[in-house]
Amino acid sequence: MTTEYDLSPEDFADTAKAVVNACAEADTTATRIALLADAGLTGILASDSSGGMGLPVDFAVPVLHAAGAGMLAAPLLETMLLAQAFSGTRDDLATAIAIGHTKVTIAWNGELDGSAGTVDRAPLAEDCDAVLVFRRDGSAILVTLGESAEVLADDTLDLERPEARVVITAAEGPVLSAETVTELQRTAQILRSALILGAAEDSLERACEYAQDRRQFGKTLVSYQAIQHHLARQCLAVETIRNSIARSLSPHCEMPVDAARATFIGATGLGANTAETAIQIFGGMGYTWDVPLHRHLRFVRTLAAQGKAAELLDNVAQQLLSAENNKKELQRAS
Amino acid sequence: MTQTAAVASERPSPETAGDNARAWLDANLPQTLREDILQEREPSIAELSEWESKLHKAGIIGATWPKQYGGGDLGLRAHLDISREIGRTPMPESVNSIGKELAGPIILAVGNERQKAEYLPAILEMRNIWCQGFSEPNAGSDLAGLRTRAEKTGDGWVINGQKIWTSGASKSSHCLLLARTGSVEDRHRGLVLFAVDTSLPGVDIREIKSIDGARHFCEVFFNDVVVPEADMLGSPDQGWAAATRVLSIERATNRMHRAWRFENQLQHLVSACAENPATRRLVEHDYARPLAEVAVNIELLKGHVETLVGSLIDGNEIGPRGSLPKMFWSEAHQDFSKLALEIVSRFPPDMSDPLRAVKRRMEDIYIKARAETIYAGTTEIQLGIIAKRILKLNWER
Ligand SMILES: Cc1cc2nc3c(=O)[nH]c(=O)nc-3n(C[C@H](O)[C@H](O)[C@H](O)COP(=O)(O)OP(=O)(O)OC[C@H]3O[C@@H](n4cnc5c(N)ncnc54)[C@H](O)[C@@H]3O)c2cc1C
Repeated sequence: MTTEYDLSPEDFADTAKAVVNACAEADTTATRIALLADAGLTGILASDSSGGMGLPVDFAVPVLHAAGAGMLAAPLLETMLLAQAFSGTRDDLATAIAIGHTKVTIAWNGELDGSAGTVDRAPLAEDCDAVLVFRRDGSAILVTLGESAEVLADDTLDLERPEARVVITAAEGPVLSAETVTELQRTAQILRSALILGAAEDSLERACEYAQDRRQFGKTLVSYQAIQHHLARQCLAVETIRNSIARSLSPHCEMPVDAARATFIGATGLGANTAETAIQIFGGMGYTWDVPLHRHLRFVRTLAAQGKAAELLDNVAQQLLSAENNKKELQRAS
Repeated sequence: MTQTAAVASERPSPETAGDNARAWLDANLPQTLREDILQEREPSIAELSEWESKLHKAGIIGATWPKQYGGGDLGLRAHLDISREIGRTPMPESVNSIGKELAGPIILAVGNERQKAEYLPAILEMRNIWCQGFSEPNAGSDLAGLRTRAEKTGDGWVINGQKIWTSGASKSSHCLLLARTGSVEDRHRGLVLFAVDTSLPGVDIREIKSIDGARHFCEVFFNDVVVPEADMLGSPDQGWAAATRVLSIERATNRMHRAWRFENQLQHLVSACAENPATRRLVEHDYARPLAEVAVNIELLKGHVETLVGSLIDGNEIGPRGSLPKMFWSEAHQDFSKLALEIVSRFPPDMSDPLRAVKRRMEDIYIKARAETIYAGTTEIQLGIIAKRILKLNWER
């Protein structure tokens, strides 16, 4: 792909892979964020004025793809989004986030109505300095974690980025407008899809490798057509996610907002299915803790919940049934 | 039909091709051809041919073909824009899609100048209707097992053999025929493509009634049919390469409008149901989420189609990746057809004409959708292609 920038999105793929591998060796979230920040990956979307690169979302896709494939244990998605969201209004803060000085996450579930309340689904909140909390009026506030915002470990399906609950007694901090929050949520749909794509693709690659190696009844597993077809279906699933992300970001996409939402909803189902199928292909081995397929599965299911895939599907239904829908067909995205 | 909007000299520009197509279709699609209203009878081949030649005159069909052969000289992006509008319009499928989407592109790729000049404009103007003679009784999925023989004679070729499942053969003037020069053991080698005039002596076409009650399917027998050398397409050893090219086109770009037609079918179902409290309850309450899943699948399908078009524009070959949209579409569309059938099966007995129209359309779609996972390579064959040629898996025989 050629762009008006000196770099192409693909240029980030190799760096991202190398940094994600280095992160796997690091033992704290803080070290991982520092590694990501040093490589410039946390600030890809943040503006120049806040120490970022000011690049479009396409450039973040290969990075999150690598993060998903490599089971990155850091709130990279949240960091990228917040460094971008505070660019322009709070460049000092955006810079601190982009360079990894202020470690941030987002409580994806729950809203504050007033200045106190409980929110949850905040990945790695225990290792962060601040958490973005959504408010009933559509805006959001970045609350410093501490006495007035207490982090409680929660049951968590995701092992790499354990979710926490945050009990807030006095919410104070920098605010994002409702418009910025809407934009952040939309970008998150694409970037989560990229994380899922990475997880799904790694699951598929592991399954292909295993099936070509493991022998039963005197032949490799992949010699059986049932296994070939399982793998081919998952290839279709992975390519469906990849193409849908590409379409959502293409300047030729007629309805980018609808496309991004559908991409994410689709990715959650397809991605989970790919990880589940990979577990099936590994047999008993797939059920072991040490084979990391369950980690991908846990991650995808958690991303589905954080991004509210089920609620979004209801929104699709409402839009389909709404009276304006027929007109929608003719409307062109600007 | 009274309006004849854009004429050949005012063909759309790439940027406005989609908008022009939309405006023209809105103004010119006759009521009698609309698939979303109750029709008393099926349109005749003559009516459909007339409609399609008008589509060509309006620049809607043949957009990407060179001007000298009656095309619009536009790029694939414009073709996609036009295809979207064709899909959004509840109009009949082309009766000459083999000509326009398979024979035409193949002739453009491997045909000589005389063949291009003779066949291409005739396809667009609907003077020639084509069928595809590939499958045989013993060569379906295993196409390389075909037996129809082409023997060289002094001034041409003598064809003997039998084709089957040849859609539209009884209404066609030409057959894109795949035959072999050697023996069946040669498999992919020695296959040759011909443009066969179906009125030649020795061509015997018999219709087969299909599960939808139609008689489009045919058996075609070739008994000592003499085909002039001039009607061979490409060279004798190019047959398999050309045939696989046909198949990848068939899977990938053929009927590019289908994602949007699929969307039109979904919207027709939903909007028709909205008018009556009982049917509205079905779509708003009982089936809201499954319908939303269909809408999501349609977006994902567009992702395949649009990304593939982008990749072709960037100069890439379709190759095995044509299997991805074909498989995704056929299965998603079959799933929709089952859901739609269930919904319309619950319509009240006193339903209005618009509800009756959607019921008939969805029942028809359900039956016809059975073919979608069979033709252009069955699902099992597509899965094999993906496993071998995209995933590049290695296995023992
Ligand atoms: C509506 C319709 C229109 C058509 N139009 C045309 C046309 O115009 N021209 C033309 O040439 N052909 C046409 N066809 C034929 C079509 O291409 C063939 O039907 C198709 O290729 C399958 O071949 P077959 O029918 O011989 O089935 P078979 O090849 O006998 O397959 C039967 C079943 O076995 C499965 N199978 C076969 N091989 C394998 C394998 N290796 N592994 C696992 N499963 C396998 C198949 O998936 C299928 O489920 C049309 C078919 C339909 C339904």
